[in-house]
Amino acid sequence: MAAKNGPTDIEKEQVFGMAEKEMEYRVDLFNRLTKICFDKCIDKRYKESELNMGENSCIDRCVSKYWQVTNLIGQLLGSNRPPL
Amino acid sequence: MDTSAGGSEPREAPKEAEKPNIEPLRLPTVEEMRGQDIWNNCAVRSVVSGIMGGGLGLFMGLLFGALDNPLMQEQMTARQQFIYTAKQMGRRSWSSAKTFAFMGLIFSAAECVVEKARAKHDTTNTVVAGCVTGGALSAKGGPKAACAGCAGFAAFSVVIEKFLDRHG
Repeated sequence: MAAKNGPTDIEKEQVFGMAEKEMEYRVDLFNRLTKICFDKCIDKRYKESELNMGENSCIDRCVSKYWQVTNLIGQLLGSNRPPL
Repeated sequence: MDTSAGGSEPREAPKEAEKPNIEPLRLPTVEEMRGQDIWNNCAVRSVVSGIMGGGLGLFMGLLFGALDNPLMQEQMTARQQFIYTAKQMGRRSWSSAKTFAFMGLIFSAAECVVEKARAKHDTTNTVVAGCVTGGALSAKGGPKAACAGCAGFAAFSVVIEKFLDRHG
């Protein structure tokens, strides 16, 4: 019983640490994605408060491409390390 | 060692930390996104624009039909003149409503398609949509009339857009 409780606590801490890192990564990804697509797609003159159709489709495309690039690079980095 | 000075500072620090009461980020639900997406649909937008154009054409046709005088004015009684004017108003308003509805439909559909393809909100969208609409309206007169209609309607729609944007 005592031997089982020890590694379980450490495992819990490890899992919690990994979950925290994952959460930070996701929050950072969201913030970066939002900033990049906002800067790229939306005209800074702010003539109206609603998104018009051009901006809407620009944001759709921006998010889709960013997500694909993220996944692709994640796969490339994760699968095998190419010798540089 | 003044207790009031030492006691007030830690009291102010939690007040400063409490002030920014930031609400958690609330992303839109699927229903909200669908509700906003209805107005992004090109078909819905162009149909609504067509209906509004039809309404406008109805009013304009009524106005101009009412101003039209009958040909044989002296030989008709007042009642006949009234019936003639009413019929004229109805005919003019119906044909005018059809023309304006068609114009609104084509213009809105063209602008929507072009803006979605370009992913930009520009005056170029208005120019292209105006050209397509003018060309479609005067396509029966041949290619030269279509070109003239295209250029004229494009210029007209740019002027209207600039006028609307100044006060919007």
